[in-house]
Amino acid sequence: MPSNGIDILKILEDKLQNKPVQIVPGTLGTAAIITKSGSHRDVFQILVDADEKTAVVSITGIDLGENLGVYYHVRTSNALLTIQIEVPKANPTLASVNDITPSAAFHELEVTDLIGAVFEGNPSSGHFVLPDTWPEGVYPLRKDVNACEVKLDPPAAEEKSDDGKLVKIVIGPQHPALLEPEKFVVLVEGETVREVRPRIGYVHRGIEKASESRTYLQDVYLVERICGICNSCHACAFVESVEKILKLEVPPRAKYLRTIILELNRLHSHLLTLGHAGLEIGYETLFQYFWRDREPIMDITEILTGNRVISSSMTVGGVRRDLKETDIPKVKAVLSGLKKRLPFYVKVYREEPTIGLRMQKVGTLKRENALKLGVVGPVARGSGVDIDVRKDAPYEAYGEIPFKVITYDAGDTWARMNVRMDEVEESINIIEYALDHLPEGPFRVRAPRVVPAGEVVNRVEAPRGELFYYVKSNGTAFPDRVKVRTPTFANIPAFLTTAVGEPLADVPPNFVSLDPCFSCTDR
Amino acid sequence: MISKPATGKYPFVKCVPAEGFRGQQVFDIGLCVSCGLCSRDCPAKAIEMVEVNGKKRPLFYLDRCIFCYQCAESCPRNAIKATDIFELATTDKSSLVVKPTTTQKNSGA
Repeated sequence: MPSNGIDILKILEDKLQNKPVQIVPGTLGTAAIITKSGSHRDVFQILVDADEKTAVVSITGIDLGENLGVYYHVRTSNALLTIQIEVPKANPTLASVNDITPSAAFHELEVTDLIGAVFEGNPSSGHFVLPDTWPEGVYPLRKDVNACEVKLDPPAAEEKSDDGKLVKIVIGPQHPALLEPEKFVVLVEGETVREVRPRIGYVHRGIEKASESRTYLQDVYLVERICGICNSCHACAFVESVEKILKLEVPPRAKYLRTIILELNRLHSHLLTLGHAGLEIGYETLFQYFWRDREPIMDITEILTGNRVISSSMTVGGVRRDLKETDIPKVKAVLSGLKKRLPFYVKVYREEPTIGLRMQKVGTLKRENALKLGVVGPVARGSGVDIDVRKDAPYEAYGEIPFKVITYDAGDTWARMNVRMDEVEESINIIEYALDHLPEGPFRVRAPRVVPAGEVVNRVEAPRGELFYYVKSNGTAFPDRVKVRTPTFANIPAFLTTAVGEPLADVPPNFVSLDPCFSCTDR
Repeated sequence: MISKPATGKYPFVKCVPAEGFRGQQVFDIGLCVSCGLCSRDCPAKAIEMVEVNGKKRPLFYLDRCIFCYQCAESCPRNAIKATDIFELATTDKSSLVVKPTTTQKNSGA
C-alpha cells in the first residue's frame, strides 16, 4: 500500500492549529475529532488531500437531548476517524461535505430522514428510507418518538410517468429479477440507461431503534437477523463492540472459532452470489452447480453451530459452543472436497465465453471513482483498491493467519466476480489454517450484563465488504444507540453510476456483481 | 453423467440433522425452579411465565421462537433441552403454543 506511511493525525494537528478543532486520540477509532459545523469541512479537505483512500464510512445521527450529534466516521488508508459535530435541535443544520467527498451523499440523506439533521448542499427530495406517507417532522430515531404510534396511510400505488423522451422502467420493490424487495427506477432512452433512481427502505424494520429497547444479550440475536447470509458478521461486529466497552479480553480459542465461523459465512455467501450471477445471465447450469457445492458448507455450519443459516454462535465473551475434536475431520473433508472442484469453477469464470460476453466491460468502475464513492469489499477490490478490514485493522485471529487480499484492476462485473472466486480459495485456506492452529483453552468467558457507559466504533469484513458498527452505552443493560452501516448501503452508489450509458440488458449482471443485500441495506 | 443425484429424497427419506442441532426445545417441569430467567432473556419474547399448580412455569410460543436456545443457556437447572424436531410447519398457529405440563416429554435427540 503506497499511502500506508501517512500519519494522518500529525498532518491534522499541523494544519489545524488555529481552528476550533480538538483531536482526541484513541477514542472512537484511531481518534475522535471534535469540531463545529463549518470547520468540519476543513478537516475533510485536509483528509481528502492527504490520503486518496479517504471516504465516509458512515454517519451516526444521535439524539443527545438538547442537541443532535452528527458523527462522521471516516476511513483513511490506515486509520478510522470520527468527526463529531453537535447541532442544536431547534436549528439542526450543518454544511454538507458531499462536494468534498461524494461518499458522504447517501449517508447524509439517511441521517436527514431518520434523525432530522439538515445538510446544506445535499438537499433531500422527499423521504429516503422512510415510507412516502411518513408524516413530516417525525424523526424515528429521536428518543421522544415512539415509532409504533405513527399512523401511516397506505402508499400510493403507482409510479407516475415521466414526460419526455426517456422511458421509465420500474424495477421493484416486487420484481421477478430481484430476490429481495427494493425499488430502482431506471430511465432509458431506447435501450440505453440514462439514469437510475434508487428508493431504498422497503424492508426497513427499525432494527437500530428496536435494539435500544432490548438488552445487550438479546441484541446479539436481533442484529444477527439484519442479514441472513452474513449473520455471524453482524453478531461478531456487535459483540466485539460490547467487548471493547467492557474491556473484555476474549480467549484465543474463541478468536479462532469465531474466525472459522466468519469464513464459513464468507464461503457460502460467495458461492451463493457466484451461482446467482449465473442465474441472472441465463446460465442456470452454473447456478445449480454452485448451489450444489454450497450445500456441504451449510452442513458443516450446522455441525459447528447448530443451524445451517442463522448460526447464533457469537456471544459477548466468546462463542457459545466449542468445536469437538471429532468434528474437525468432517469439516476438513468438506473443505478438501470443495477445493478439488474449485479449478473447474475458476476456469469457467475466467475463460467461459458466455461469462466473458455478459460480464467483461460491463459496469466498469474506475479506480478513482471507486475511491471517490467509498465503495467497499469485492466491489472496491475489483477496481484495484486494496482495502480489506481483515488486513487493514485485523480483528479476531486474522492478524495471525496468512492470507492474500485479492484485487483485480479491470473494475468490471467480471473482475468483481473473479475477486469472489479467488476469495473462496483464500477462505478455505484460512479455515484450514485456523483448524490446524486452534489454541487450547476456554472458548468463552463470563461477561457482565450491565455495560459501563462508553461509546465505540467497530468494523469487520463481511462477505460484501466492510461492515461498520457504532455502539453507545449509557451504563445500563440496554444500549443507548446502535448504528449499523452495511456494505451494500455503501456499494449502491457504484451501481447508480456504472449502469448509466450501458444497455438495459446489462443491468442485471452489473447489479448482481455488487452482491446486493437489501434486508441489510434497510435494516 | 451417471452419478448420484445431489438432492435428498425428502420427505420419503427423512434427513437427519447434525448432532447439536437446535430443533424444538423440550421443557422438563421436574427440573424447573420457576426463576423466569428463560422468559427474561428470550430475545423474541416467546416465553411467558404462567401459573401451573401454584408455580410459575414457562409457556413456549413456538410461532415466535427463533430457536436461538438462549433459554436453554440461561436455565440454571438445564430444564430446557434440545431435540432434532424441525418439522413444525402448520396451518394452525395455536398448535405451536406449548404449555408447561406435568408429564415429561421424551426428548427426541
